[in-house]
Amino acid sequence: MTLATFIIKNAVRNKRRAALSILSVAASLFLLVTLLVFQRELTLPPEEAGAALRVVVRNRVSLGQPLPARQRPIIEKITGVEAVTPFSWFGGVFKDEKFPSFAQFALDPKMLRHVFGEAKVTPGAYEAFESERTGCIIGKLTADKYKIKVGDIIKFTSDIYAVSLEFKVVGIYWGTIDDRNCLFNQKYLDEATGNHGMVGTWWVKVRSTEDMPAVIQAINNAFANTSSEVRAESERAFQLNFVSMWGNIKTLVTLISTVVVFTLVLVSASTMSMAVRERFRELAILKALGFQRRELFAFILAESFGLAGFGAVVGIGWAWLLYSQTRWAGILLGAVAAAFAANFLKLLFHREWLGAFLALLAAAGLAAAAKFIYAKGSIAGLTQNFMNTFDVTPRIIGFALLVAACLGVVASLAPSWAVVRASVVEGLKTLD
Amino acid sequence: MALPIKYNVRNLVIRWRSTITTMLGVALVVAVYVLVQALAVGLEKASQNTGDPRNTIILRKGSTAESVSQITRAQYREILYLPQIARDQNGNPLVSADVIVLINLPRKQGRSEANVLVRGISPMGRFLRPQVRLVAGRWFVPGNREIVVSAKLAERFANFDIGSQIKTGGKLITVVGWLDGGDSAYDSECWMDADEARSLFDRENYSSVLLRVNGPEAALAISNRVDTDKRLSLRAMPETEYYSKQTMTAKPIKVLGGFLATVMSIGAIFAAMNTLYASVGARVREIGTLRVLGYRRRAILMSFIIEGALLSLAGGLLGGLLALPLHGYTTATIGLETFSETIFQFRITPALFAEGLLFSLIVGVIGSLLPAIRAARLPVIAALRAA
Repeated sequence: MTLATFIIKNAVRNKRRAALSILSVAASLFLLVTLLVFQRELTLPPEEAGAALRVVVRNRVSLGQPLPARQRPIIEKITGVEAVTPFSWFGGVFKDEKFPSFAQFALDPKMLRHVFGEAKVTPGAYEAFESERTGCIIGKLTADKYKIKVGDIIKFTSDIYAVSLEFKVVGIYWGTIDDRNCLFNQKYLDEATGNHGMVGTWWVKVRSTEDMPAVIQAINNAFANTSSEVRAESERAFQLNFVSMWGNIKTLVTLISTVVVFTLVLVSASTMSMAVRERFRELAILKALGFQRRELFAFILAESFGLAGFGAVVGIGWAWLLYSQTRWAGILLGAVAAAFAANFLKLLFHREWLGAFLALLAAAGLAAAAKFIYAKGSIAGLTQNFMNTFDVTPRIIGFALLVAACLGVVASLAPSWAVVRASVVEGLKTLD
Repeated sequence: MALPIKYNVRNLVIRWRSTITTMLGVALVVAVYVLVQALAVGLEKASQNTGDPRNTIILRKGSTAESVSQITRAQYREILYLPQIARDQNGNPLVSADVIVLINLPRKQGRSEANVLVRGISPMGRFLRPQVRLVAGRWFVPGNREIVVSAKLAERFANFDIGSQIKTGGKLITVVGWLDGGDSAYDSECWMDADEARSLFDRENYSSVLLRVNGPEAALAISNRVDTDKRLSLRAMPETEYYSKQTMTAKPIKVLGGFLATVMSIGAIFAAMNTLYASVGARVREIGTLRVLGYRRRAILMSFIIEGALLSLAGGLLGGLLALPLHGYTTATIGLETFSETIFQFRITPALFAEGLLFSLIVGVIGSLLPAIRAARLPVIAALRAA
């Protein structure tokens, strides 16, 4: 028997306890990863491929104030500007929903492919969008959520204008950072509202990154001391501004994550020291047999490390699977449910009524969860399109692993200390 | 016969080490749950504190919130002559046409910015909202480009001291006073004159009209009159009803709280199970003895479940107490309806506290169920012989 097998045998001797310890560590690490990803999505939205060359121009007062349409030719004339499109929030409530559940923006169809070049669209979408005044292009996530197809007519009642508009879906786009929006023609909006003079914001495509600072400054200067002063900034800066509006929620999520880590350390450390305390007598025997203290430490540390490590793999792995391979997560959960169902049959055969009942309960619950996750298919589906990306980054995985490693060490401290202090005789006398 | 509860308490005390860690674990889970839900409750409370039952608010048909509604001056004039509107001693109708403008301003700390909601109010606006008090400085004088800001916002935004000037889009507005909204949504607002705000920010229309009515029948009559007038295309409702519907911001927080609670409680249940299994394992002979003394399996089962429930209830109580100091603590985030900085307080209501306790009780009962079944099923003879 090698040392490694000795340690492993020890760790799984009490299978139930090992499983429970691993699962409680896993639940906590899963939560930790989720919170870290959530916080990252809040504070650092992912960068879009084409964003480096885009400038967003809004009214200096706030995003809520419109801009006069006459600004467009002035911006277009600035050197380094390649394309300009209005980008106006419509605030439409879809069908009979209660509030706007996804965004609609009015823009200049001719400029779509120039300003948002990274978007991929269904074939013929650009041409149809330019020729059909009431046409709209809709993001794939939203199209999937509401089962909207090209050719459908969709209707919105605006929250900010006193109009309802019907759009004909002429295309579906994907491959951008936010595949949830509905894009339509600014002219259609102007005609419907009878107001041709105002837009929400300008989105400007700049020729090269070197031109960015000069273009931003030129736009800001062009409208200084006019009745509609603007603020031009890179798309990234614009996004980060949004993020800063979340205010104290970020701090709160950090606070919760800290408490979760603390709880995790506490609970797991207690279970693990329980595991060691239980076989105090054995450790005393090993001591009597001539094992050195540091060898005993190594046993304890390896076992605690192993349990934490397993928990980490299960918890982090499940988080990754659920958030980036959602369908597979559903399938895996289905398999676990099937295992419980098999167990149910076995227990039924052995006339273990109570056990069978509990296994059946577990199987049913897991199967329902598996079905839900599989049906939703993605993080966007799981959150009703509230979150659209949910990246478990290597950095976050690394951090969670580090927490697990620290946990392994901390959990082994108390039992190690007990081993140091106890004499062999005392240990041999211990009953439980 | 049931085992005395004292037996469970003593057991918990004697195994104080694992009792304390399990209890702390449950306590932290409950504390997190209560705190997150306290945020949602606080947001809803701030909204509920805002409306006055005597007032009716009129918005454009189809608007979900005041900030996106528009009312033309012609519509306002029509509303002014509705007979059901209450009047003051001088016979002036108690009506305020408000305009809502968002302005983007720098925060005090760091370089970050956020939207602040500016409400332009008519002269009657203040009397319609008696819960708003001036706590420092004076009220604005129309025409002087003056503004009164919420004292709570003043703690968070730069240049909000009395006498300072706010610069927005090339315009300068002087802060002349601080208001206190009495923990209502008005704590997240700045007030100035409505018509001045309209000209300053190029707004042709008002956003909403707030009016006082003579009793509930008059309120009903007004909403019937306004809602059915096709030409007006407006909607009237009691102000309290309007604010009770402004709960969009609280929703995602509630979902987050529910998610946290579910996952953390699963972890806590596993941990509690572990503790109680160990506790059963260590007491095999004791359980055998109890059985010999005549206690039924049922009694043993119940006793262990009660022990688990006691353990986690104590944890839940501790967790609630841990969360309590944050009650009333002011915090802010973006309001999803107003799209501006929204100030609110953590609110730990008795109901929420009870919810936390119930939550810990569930964790305790589920966590102790399997170990208790195991204890109840121990064969007596083997248990007596156990080491």
